[in-house]
Amino acid sequence: MALAEICGMSDFDTFRREAPFDNEIAKMSNNFTHNTLLSVPPYSNPAENLAYFSKDESGRDIKIKFDHGTTTLGFMYKGGVVLAVDSRATGGQFIGSQTMKKIVEINDFLLGTLAGGAADCVYWDRVLAKQCRMYELRNRERISVAAASKLMANMVYNYKGMGLSMGMMLAGWDKRGPQLYYVDSEGTRTPGKVFSVGSGSIYAFGVLDSGYKWDLTDEEAYDLGRRSIYHATHRDAYSGGIVRVYHMKPTGWVHIDNNDCMDLHYKYQDEKLQEINKV
Amino acid sequence: MSILAYNGGAMVAMKGDKCVSIASDKRFGIQAQTIATNFQKIFEMGPHLYVGLPGLATDTQTVMEKLRFRKNLYELKENRPMSPKVFSAMLSNMLYENRFGPFFVEPIVAGLDPGTYEPYICNMDLIGCPNQPNDFVVGGTASSQLFGMCESLWEPNLGPDDLFETTSQALINAFDRDAISGWGAVVYIIEKDKVTVRDLKTRMD
Amino acid sequence: MALLHSENRPNYPDYATAPTQHHFSPYADNGGSVVAIAGDDFVVIGADTRLSAGFSIYTRDQNKLFRLSDTTVLGCSGCWCDTLTLTRILSARMQMYQQEHNKTMATPACAQMLSTMLYYKRFFPYYISNILVGLDNEGKGCIYSYDPIGHCEKTTYRAGGSAGALLQPLLDNQIGLKNMQNVKDSKLTLERAAAIIKDVFISAAERDIFTGDNILINIITKDGIKEDSFQLRKD
Repeated sequence: MALAEICGMSDFDTFRREAPFDNEIAKMSNNFTHNTLLSVPPYSNPAENLAYFSKDESGRDIKIKFDHGTTTLGFMYKGGVVLAVDSRATGGQFIGSQTMKKIVEINDFLLGTLAGGAADCVYWDRVLAKQCRMYELRNRERISVAAASKLMANMVYNYKGMGLSMGMMLAGWDKRGPQLYYVDSEGTRTPGKVFSVGSGSIYAFGVLDSGYKWDLTDEEAYDLGRRSIYHATHRDAYSGGIVRVYHMKPTGWVHIDNNDCMDLHYKYQDEKLQEINKV
Repeated sequence: MSILAYNGGAMVAMKGDKCVSIASDKRFGIQAQTIATNFQKIFEMGPHLYVGLPGLATDTQTVMEKLRFRKNLYELKENRPMSPKVFSAMLSNMLYENRFGPFFVEPIVAGLDPGTYEPYICNMDLIGCPNQPNDFVVGGTASSQLFGMCESLWEPNLGPDDLFETTSQALINAFDRDAISGWGAVVYIIEKDKVTVRDLKTRMD
Repeated sequence: MALLHSENRPNYPDYATAPTQHHFSPYADNGGSVVAIAGDDFVVIGADTRLSAGFSIYTRDQNKLFRLSDTTVLGCSGCWCDTLTLTRILSARMQMYQQEHNKTMATPACAQMLSTMLYYKRFFPYYISNILVGLDNEGKGCIYSYDPIGHCEKTTYRAGGSAGALLQPLLDNQIGLKNMQNVKDSKLTLERAAAIIKDVFISAAERDIFTGDNILINIITKDGIKEDSFQLRKD
């Protein structure tokens, strides 16, 4: 028996282990209690190896198509921060939804936008929202945007290279004033004045950069955000649906409005025709 | 991504009572990027003969030119209009000539027979396997969406006005669920005495 | 020197130096479609009963609707083994909640739980298209649809599974009244919702080989869950 103990055999004694199926339920949903711990896949390098499971026994394609979200933008100006997003979610070429909410209301003074994998963004935003609330309860003051964005960046950094796909902006108003951060799944975290993220961002930047200045009025700022997103939805196949505009003010965020892209298109076209007729 | 889905596009043709319809979207894109929203995919090949060529845009145009050439030659030689049936057979043969290096189009033919004015629709795969059903044919990247729409909206013996409404509703709602087709649509209603062409107001995202 | 050139070497497959790679395929696509429509005080969900793999049919009589509580039903299609595991864990979690809080989990809470459970397997996902339906806290019908890794959206109508792409535009048109001008947004009745579900499944069975045989319909109202079934084509 002594030899068995020296060899550590007692650890392998199946009869001494507590009932093996007892905590199976807890194991199959471990992230309920430990939010940042996801199930470890039974293979290495999931970003690459998951692709090998793309055939079933009969050789048919298994399409695990995740919903992907697209054009988002945010910019700071004298009145605070404006966020504008589209609302299309596509799985492959199929439009899964035209009404997705790509701005997540983390708390009254913090908004997050999502681009990339929809489930990735929504899950980690929810974890972040919990952590921000915990911080508030512990410290009796709201978390700064810098701290919140760093929490996010650190959480997703742990999964770097595993295939997470997210590019988000965090906008908020804390005791240092309005803040805008960009955080992505590669671990980038950077403050800035003007951002646009997603597959339609190149088109959005074209409009945004040409119309942006610090001294915009509120209405001008909303219209700039709206137009930038609209033009992106027009050119980019994976953006569309409705344009949502949010404004971060010293008193917290305000939801400005939602506009259907179809209405915007024909409204802008009428305006263009009137311009031409005037000349 | 399949090369047939490189430019995107949706197309449908339906049989009605003494009339046929053919309709398509107007997008020309390169994958996600929309280049133009006035791209022609349906071509007039005769007074009652139309062909739609959804698929790779370059092949849409090449196949159209080749078809027009062969059809004109036939009509000069024979001194009579080409019937949709003959046109489809010719198209099918032409595609099969390139069995091992195909044109990436899945054509749809719609028309009325020049003698009897019998409605005719036909579609084929990219190497020319023809299919001539009695109800409707679909093609392009939104084909599964179109199948679902047509299967429940289509009914036998639709008049020209009802056929227009059915075709447009099927097409618009189908491509509104497809990211790479849409951006305007055009519908042709082909009757014995007239052909009506109408542009549809659609979502532009 | 020329003799050593590899082009001249004959190819003996048995002595090939490069190892052949084989990959484990843990997923199967067992097909099936689920459609759900919600109204002001009811929700209807239907699923076909065909369980298939490729061109063969395992059974023509498989219920794909799972009752999680008296007001919540989950419809699953995709990989059947994943469905079994997921629903087993879900119902265990429902029971744990019931015993811990002495009340049944409400549909919105259940929807969030399902999302979190799906995301847990982010790197080896459940290959299922889920549609969760039920009555919310005010008694209104609600539908939550998911992607395989737990992105969740609340809607009032949804088609999922192998014929999802065929049926969703039809629901947009008939229930969402998309692209319709001059139509009155009349209130959706239970009878109309049930009739639409039957119609769309008949269409799906025509064109989708993984959908057919029968449909099972669950109608959820404040009075409980009523079952209904309907024959589809069996070829």
